[in-house]
Amino acid sequence: MVGQAYDDTGGNTGITGPDDLVFHSEQRARPTWTSDLSVAEAAAVRRVGLVPSGFVMGTAVMQLAAAGGQLYGQWGIPGQSLSSSGGYSESYPCAHGYMAVGNVQEHYGFSVEDAVLAASLTEGYRLAIERLHDEAVQLGAHGVVGVDLFFENLVGSAGTATFFARGTAVAHPATPPLPSPFLTNASGQHFERLIALGYVPAGLAVGVGAVYVQPNCQARGAFTVSGPNRQIPTAITVSRSRARSSLAATGHRLGEGVVNTEWTDRRVNRYGESWDQLTIAVGTAVRRYSTEAPPLTPRPVLPLRP
Amino acid sequence: MSAPTSATPGIPSALAALREPFVPGNQPTFLSDLTVGELVLLEEIGFRPVDIVSGAGTSTWNPQFTTAGNEGTMWGRAIATAIDNARSGILEELRARHADGVVAMRFEMEREHASLLTCTMLGTAVQGTGRRPDARLPFATTLSARDFHLLVRAGYHPAGIVIGVSVVGFAARSAAQSLGLARDNVELTDQTTALYAAREQAMEMMEREAAELHADGVVEVQLQERPVNALLTHAVEFIAVGTAVCRGTEGHKALDPEFQLTLEDPPDATFSDR
Repeated sequence: MVGQAYDDTGGNTGITGPDDLVFHSEQRARPTWTSDLSVAEAAAVRRVGLVPSGFVMGTAVMQLAAAGGQLYGQWGIPGQSLSSSGGYSESYPCAHGYMAVGNVQEHYGFSVEDAVLAASLTEGYRLAIERLHDEAVQLGAHGVVGVDLFFENLVGSAGTATFFARGTAVAHPATPPLPSPFLTNASGQHFERLIALGYVPAGLAVGVGAVYVQPNCQARGAFTVSGPNRQIPTAITVSRSRARSSLAATGHRLGEGVVNTEWTDRRVNRYGESWDQLTIAVGTAVRRYSTEAPPLTPRPVLPLRP
Repeated sequence: MSAPTSATPGIPSALAALREPFVPGNQPTFLSDLTVGELVLLEEIGFRPVDIVSGAGTSTWNPQFTTAGNEGTMWGRAIATAIDNARSGILEELRARHADGVVAMRFEMEREHASLLTCTMLGTAVQGTGRRPDARLPFATTLSARDFHLLVRAGYHPAGIVIGVSVVGFAARSAAQSLGLARDNVELTDQTTALYAAREQAMEMMEREAAELHADGVVEVQLQERPVNALLTHAVEFIAVGTAVCRGTEGHKALDPEFQLTLEDPPDATFSDR
């Protein structure tokens, strides 16, 4: 066997299209399991009564469609909606009050909700999660713990994003498979606490919000105007609010609440001084399965040496 | 909504619950950015998560030409306004949700240019189960879920975030001093005085805010001090943010911690870079 290339697909990938981009467990000899759990996490999962089935992953490379491109150069007229999709839009006139001075356009700004970009990101996450889920189903797992969900611009060029979902599939031995394995972004130890508290993870909830911001003179930092500015905080608030609504909507379908939400506010630079105010929230939808959880009052301790 | 059963906690009953089809009910879905550990700590003291709430505020100011001992009131007020707008925003969201307060909050202050500051707050709104009968207004706090848990167990409750901001100018150094030609070791008393004045004014503002909330004290005060030296601007910016707390009717409750002596060796202090 020395020198022979290792082929884990059995010589035939059988991949015919994106729908086939799932792990084919039957084509791989699996004498043992793999996982990205730390030793402590693996011990926590084992204490709950689950054993790792294998490392699972889902990826998708997406073209990011964004409405910003078509909006560039479209300047706000106060009182007139900029968004054709009916989302949030607001124009911010010059904070100095200039009306007809040369270069006055430099002083105007607007914010428009970028629902197209939010939808692109949501779809990328959905595909990655779905493929991770399919791999877990193929392994006969009951769930996936410690799901890490993120995107990077790795494969492809500008305007694309590679979405990743990865985690460790776990199974309860001698129990028939679930209709659909649960997914959680909680670590092994947090999963153990969740079960002890009487909650069971049902699936991942994702929320995305995006607002395209073309700053006016004050939001751009012109030092000749002072006082509170509305454009930046409103863009942050709207973007966060959209992410919160979509997180609640996906959470509502799966369970009674969402915990362990990893919340990210990002500013993605666009043309010139404009940017996309982006909010991404990923959490675990949970259901309460038991109200009999014993109290978990922690005992205060004081180490005598730091 | 599948009604919670009286099943014993454990993986068999948890998996059994997942076999039941889930029908979303009319109840609102709670959202939280708490970790599971933080959720445990809050449920233990009778608080449950309601929603994720946020607030944001931005301010700009003219860089003022400052002179010795002269407080940059407009500048300081602009910074305070950005923080106050974020705080009012998050309190407004709490009131809309009939929540008792927000915990484990992320508090961020970001400067983009020399005179543009954005303050954002984001945290989990919580509702208590009858633990705060004297509560009139929702509270915001910079305390983590762990510290909030300890605070409540010790018999206190947070009253709100309090801030103090002050900007005090000082005179420029002499040409010889700023060029590094001065050879005398002297205290720059003007700058020391400005720092003291800024600290004093910021703490006074924080105490005024705490008094307005009828608080007994302020915990976890975080200080940010920033010298600003430009051509005609020489000033020190001083920002203090803390959580005002009130003692409950039953007074202080001792936590009686258990002392622990770890058997692990301490890290090598002699040659470590830390």
